[in-house]
Amino acid sequence: MATLPVQRPDATDVEAGPPTPPKQRRRRGRRVSATSGARYPRWYWPAFAAPGIIWLGVLFVLPLYVVISIAFGTIDPLFRTPVPTWNPAWWDTTALRTLLGHIFGSDAFLAPAFVRTFAYVTVATALCLLVAYPVAYFVARYAGRRKVFYLLLLVAPFWISYMMRMLAWVNLLSTDGLLNRGLVGTGLIGGPVNWLDGRASTVVLGLTYGYVPYMALPLFAALDRIDPSLLEASRDLGASRARTFWRVTLPMSRPAILAGLVITALPMFGDYFTNDLLSGSPGTSMVGNLINDAVSTPGQAITGAVLVVLLMVILLIPMLWYVRATARADTEAGR
Amino acid sequence: MARDLWEPSGRPIGRRAFLARSAGAALAMSGGGALLAACGKPSEPSKKAAGPPLASPENPVTWPITADNQPIAAGLEPERNAVLKLYNWTDYIYKKVAVDDFQKKYKKYGVKVEISTFNTMDEAIAKIRTGQVDFDLFFPTYDRLGKIVQAGLLRPLTHSYIPNIDQAWPVFKNPFYDQEWHYTVPYTVYTTGVAWRNDKVHDDVAKLSNPYEALWDERYRGRVGILDDYREAISMALLKNGITNLNTGDPKQIDTAKQDLLLLDKTVKPVVNVKDYVDLPEGRTWITQAWSGDMNNAQYYMPKGQDPAVIRYWFPADGHGAVGSDLIAILRGGKNPVLAHHFLNHMLDFDVAMENLGWNGYQPPLTKATPEAMVTDEYIPKTLETTVVLPSDFDKGYRQLELSPEVDNLWNSAWQEFKAGA
Repeated sequence: MATLPVQRPDATDVEAGPPTPPKQRRRRGRRVSATSGARYPRWYWPAFAAPGIIWLGVLFVLPLYVVISIAFGTIDPLFRTPVPTWNPAWWDTTALRTLLGHIFGSDAFLAPAFVRTFAYVTVATALCLLVAYPVAYFVARYAGRRKVFYLLLLVAPFWISYMMRMLAWVNLLSTDGLLNRGLVGTGLIGGPVNWLDGRASTVVLGLTYGYVPYMALPLFAALDRIDPSLLEASRDLGASRARTFWRVTLPMSRPAILAGLVITALPMFGDYFTNDLLSGSPGTSMVGNLINDAVSTPGQAITGAVLVVLLMVILLIPMLWYVRATARADTEAGR
Repeated sequence: MARDLWEPSGRPIGRRAFLARSAGAALAMSGGGALLAACGKPSEPSKKAAGPPLASPENPVTWPITADNQPIAAGLEPERNAVLKLYNWTDYIYKKVAVDDFQKKYKKYGVKVEISTFNTMDEAIAKIRTGQVDFDLFFPTYDRLGKIVQAGLLRPLTHSYIPNIDQAWPVFKNPFYDQEWHYTVPYTVYTTGVAWRNDKVHDDVAKLSNPYEALWDERYRGRVGILDDYREAISMALLKNGITNLNTGDPKQIDTAKQDLLLLDKTVKPVVNVKDYVDLPEGRTWITQAWSGDMNNAQYYMPKGQDPAVIRYWFPADGHGAVGSDLIAILRGGKNPVLAHHFLNHMLDFDVAMENLGWNGYQPPLTKATPEAMVTDEYIPKTLETTVVLPSDFDKGYRQLELSPEVDNLWNSAWQEFKAGA
C-alpha cells in the first residue's frame, strides 16, 4: 500500500520528497475520485455546501446581525421603532447594561423569569428523555414488523401544528374538560382541578408533551442502528440483560441522548406560547414571554433584541458542551 | 389608546396573538426603511425631537393640510375596475359589509375590495412607511395619529364625499385628536370595565363600592383575567386607587399601580391575555378586565347549552372610566382616493354600521344607534346594556393618550416587572 509519489505522476498536488504514510496520502488525494480516478476542480466538492451556506448566511447570520444591531442600536424618536446601528464601533450598550441590572443588580426583577426558565426546561427535558427512551427502545428492538407503524405514530404529532396541539390541551385541561371529567368520574379526585390557573406543573407538562417527539426520533435512529450481534456478544460473555443495557446499549446511544437533549432544550428556552396558552399568568413567565412582550410593545424592541442576544449567549454554553462531547465521542469511536 | 397588544374582537377563534407576537415580526418591523439607513454613525436623535404635539381633550390639535398633500377635488367619479385595499386589525370588520355589500353598491364601477390585516400598530406603520404598499384605507389609533400625519402618510379628507358624517355623534366632526376632522372619521367606540359571570361570582360587582377591587378577591384565585395591554392594565390599577389621570408621569402613582398589580399576581394569579371574549364564556375566567365590544361578542363563544345571560359588564355609571375610540383614515399611497372616500361614507351608514356591530361587537358612534335601538334590535343583549357607550360617557371618560418617551418608559418598566412574575 505504501506507494511512492512518482507512481502517480498525474497528481499535481503531491509534493516531492520522502514517501508519506499511507493515511496522510489518502487525504491529500481527496480530489481524485476513488472509483473512476476522475479529477475535479478545487471548488467542486465545496460547492456542494454552497446552498446550505447561502441559506444559513441569508436566513440566519444576516437576521442575527440585524437583531444584534437593534440590541445595540437606537430608537426612532418619532415613531419609536428600532433603528439598528450597523457599525459595531458605535454600538450603544445602555440597554444591555440596564437589562443586566434587572437580572443581576439590586433591582433584579427579571431574575426569577430566567431561573424559572432554566428550571422548567431542565425538568421538561429530563421528562422528555424518560418518556422517549423506553418508547424509542421498544420501537427499535421489539416492534418487529410493526416498526413502520410505530414510527408513524412517533411522527404523527408533527402533522398537527404545535399551536393546535396546545389549544387542544386547553380544552382537555379545562375545568369541565375530559381530564377533569375522567378523574372525577373514576373517583380519583373529589372535584375538578383548575389546571390552567397558572401552574408550573401544567407548563412543564405542556413543554414535555410538545417537544417529546424531537427526543424520540434521534433516540430511535441511534437504538435502531445498534448491531444486535453486539448485544448477543455481551450476553454470550455472561452479561445479564440489565448489564448489557448499561454497558452496551446505553453508552452506544449516548450521542443520540445528547443530541435529543440539545434539540429539545434549545427551542424550549425560547418557547412562549405553551406558557401563554396553558397558564397566561405572570407567575410562570419564561424568557420567551419577556421577549415576546418587549417585541409587541412600542418602543421596547431594543429590550427584546437584547434579551434575544443574552439568551443566545447563555445557550452557547450547552451548545459548546454538546459539540465538545460529540467531538470526544467521535474521537473515541475513531480509535 | 395604545392598543398595540390589542386583539379586536371577531368570531374566528384562535387567530392573531401567537404568530403576531413572534420574534419574526420584530425583524420584519425593524426592516424596511431602517435597513436602508446609513451605515455610518447614527445621528444622535435629539431628545426633544420635532415630534408632533400630544393631543388631548384639554389640548385639541388641528393637523395642518400641507401644500404638497392637498385633498382631492369634490365631485369626482369613482375609479373604475379598481381594487380598493383596506388595511385593518385582524378580524375587525365584517367581510359582508366591507367587501360584498360595497362591491354590490359600486358594481357599476367594477370595484373589488381586498382586506389586508395587521396585528400591532407598529407593524402597520412600519409597513406603510416603507412606501412599498398601496393600501387605500387604514384603521389607526388616535394616539399615533399625529405621527402618521406628520410623516405625510395620510390624505386629507374631502368632506363633500362623506355626508354620512352627520349620522355620527357631533363630537366626531371636531374631535380633540383631529380638529375639523381633517384626516379621520370614527369607526368604533368602547369602554374598558370589569366583566364577570353571575353564575360563578356571587357578589353583584356593579354594586360594590369599588368594583375594580373584585379582581383582587382571593375567592377568584386562578379565575381572574387581566388585559395584556400595558396601558389598560396599569390604567385599571390607577383607577382602582382613585387616580384618574391615565397618562400620569408621576413615578409615585405608577409605582402605586405597579405594587397593586404585583399584589394581584400574588393573590389571584391572573390570566393575562387579550382573550377576554373567549375566556369568560368558556369559564376559564369568572371575572375579568374587559373591553365593552369584546363582551358583546362573548355571547357567541358561550358553550352550547349555556345561557349567555350570565355574562355581566360594569363600567362606572357616571362615565368616569377608561374610554376609547378607533378611526378610519385614507392613506396617501393608495391608488383609489375617490372610492376610499365613498368607503368611509359607506361605513358611516347606519344600516351598514349596525350590521358590522352585529358581527364584531364594537359599537359605531352613530346618533341613531341609541341604547334602545341596539338592545331592541338585539345587537346587544339586554343583560349587557352596560356595554353601550353613551356620548356622555365619551365626554366624561378618561382617555389613554400618547405618552412622552420618558413617561412611556416608566409605564413599560412597571409592566415588565409585573409580566416577569417577579
